[in-house]
Amino acid sequence: MAPRIGIVGAGHCRFGNSSDYDVVDVIAYSVNAAFRDAGGLNLRKEVDQVFVANMAAGLFNRETALASAVISRMDMEPCPAELVENGPASGASAVKLGYMAIASGMADVVLVAGGEVMRSVTGWESTDIVATMAHKEAEYNMGLTLPGFAGMFTRLYMERYGLTERDLALVAVKDHDNAAKNTYAHVQIPVTIDAIADGPNADVVNNYVAEPLRMYSTCPVTDGSAALILVNMDSPKAKLFKKKPIRIAGIASATDTHCVHNRKDPLVLDAVRLSAEKAYTMAGIGPKDISFAELHDAFVIFELIVSEEVGFFERGTSFLAVRKHETDLNGRLPINTSGGLKAKGHPVGATGVSQIFELVRQLRGEAEEGRQVKDPRYGMAVNFGGFGNNVVTTILARD
Amino acid sequence: MVDFSVYGEQTPHISAFRCEKCGTLYYPAPMVCRKCDSIRDPTTNKGWEEFDLEGPCTLLTWTRVWNLPEGFNRKFLMFGMVEFENGLRASGRVEMVGDPQIGMKLTATTIEADERPGKPVKVFVFS
Repeated sequence: MAPRIGIVGAGHCRFGNSSDYDVVDVIAYSVNAAFRDAGGLNLRKEVDQVFVANMAAGLFNRETALASAVISRMDMEPCPAELVENGPASGASAVKLGYMAIASGMADVVLVAGGEVMRSVTGWESTDIVATMAHKEAEYNMGLTLPGFAGMFTRLYMERYGLTERDLALVAVKDHDNAAKNTYAHVQIPVTIDAIADGPNADVVNNYVAEPLRMYSTCPVTDGSAALILVNMDSPKAKLFKKKPIRIAGIASATDTHCVHNRKDPLVLDAVRLSAEKAYTMAGIGPKDISFAELHDAFVIFELIVSEEVGFFERGTSFLAVRKHETDLNGRLPINTSGGLKAKGHPVGATGVSQIFELVRQLRGEAEEGRQVKDPRYGMAVNFGGFGNNVVTTILARD
Repeated sequence: MVDFSVYGEQTPHISAFRCEKCGTLYYPAPMVCRKCDSIRDPTTNKGWEEFDLEGPCTLLTWTRVWNLPEGFNRKFLMFGMVEFENGLRASGRVEMVGDPQIGMKLTATTIEADERPGKPVKVFVFS
């Protein structure tokens, strides 16, 4: 039987523009914060394994082999360390590998850190670098980018289910409200539905990016990092950490076709559904047990479709729940309490770790005033790699 | 004497593949047939029929992208996903005046594009 595995340390930097800093320092900052949170920097000597999540420092920063660099920056030699790259799902994949390292018996304490500095290049170049995860011949070479795919996806969803551009704006308003209260978010500015959808200048303020997606339907280009310390709760080492562990109740991943056009239905995200089903089974719970969720909303349409795939809402109805404010902080099922990728930001290698950081904060009851979910028991994070072709779902529990 | 400047200069095409053992169609090329497990050797394509993917198709969805990657010196580009009459699907560029409509009939051709650094690449144009 696998041991109980929990998170005893969590660190995060303020997301935003860190392009004047070395990506290794940006990651090490959150590692420091995680150790301080866990009880002290000396605890780094108790770590048996390190996983560093990063998508593309080789392209963004001309730096590679970040795991070795982070180890050295943190004075953690000779601790084993590996880099994990799984596109924008690198972060949650690293957490999953950390879980597996402890479950296998090879480690009792694992440090997982994720980070990305994307603003070292222009916005256009950043979009192009992220697009390299698409199929080279059949997608990337066509000139397609992730916003392009999301635009096509959104149009099809609108055609089939009656979603409107105003519905997309409502999701953005909610996410920005949440981010405005989040110390770590990139964009801590609330927006109004009048400014980005209903008002006379909305077309200018909220211009098209990839029709029908507009600027406020897409995440900003963000730098940042986050770090977590995982521990075998049944090991004597667990007692070294001052914080009560937040248990990883379920963690699972699944994949789908590399080419989006090769899916039976381009609107169905099988990898999201399958990874969530496996995580629910592992946790012994179902969608109704989830108190709040962080869903990978690089484009706000993802928040909607992922909330359907994981079983929160029937297919084609999630936006109706948004209209009724069911996913607000004080709603029936708060979604993206951190502000999500939409407003907290999306430093691709950090995002999966950051989502789980938010689950830990909420489950500990440590979120800022006005942003704390009331008495949460289970939190879910869905971290999305590629255009839904490699997805990790994590469920944390407050025991 | 071979004139390398014109060697290979012909109308560009994008290839699709048919597994000769079971007949399953693929675009882009697979390494293994999901139906009969036949392996495709990418250097010889032995056991696989290679054919041009082009002609009539139906538009499944589309977008107009305004934030194009580095190198694309255009205000916007339209992209679409189509389904061919043989059931294969592809993504590529849409070229027309005005807004396309989901379900409209289009014709797929191939061009060579060189917006990005490196060798020119083959690109679907649906018009």
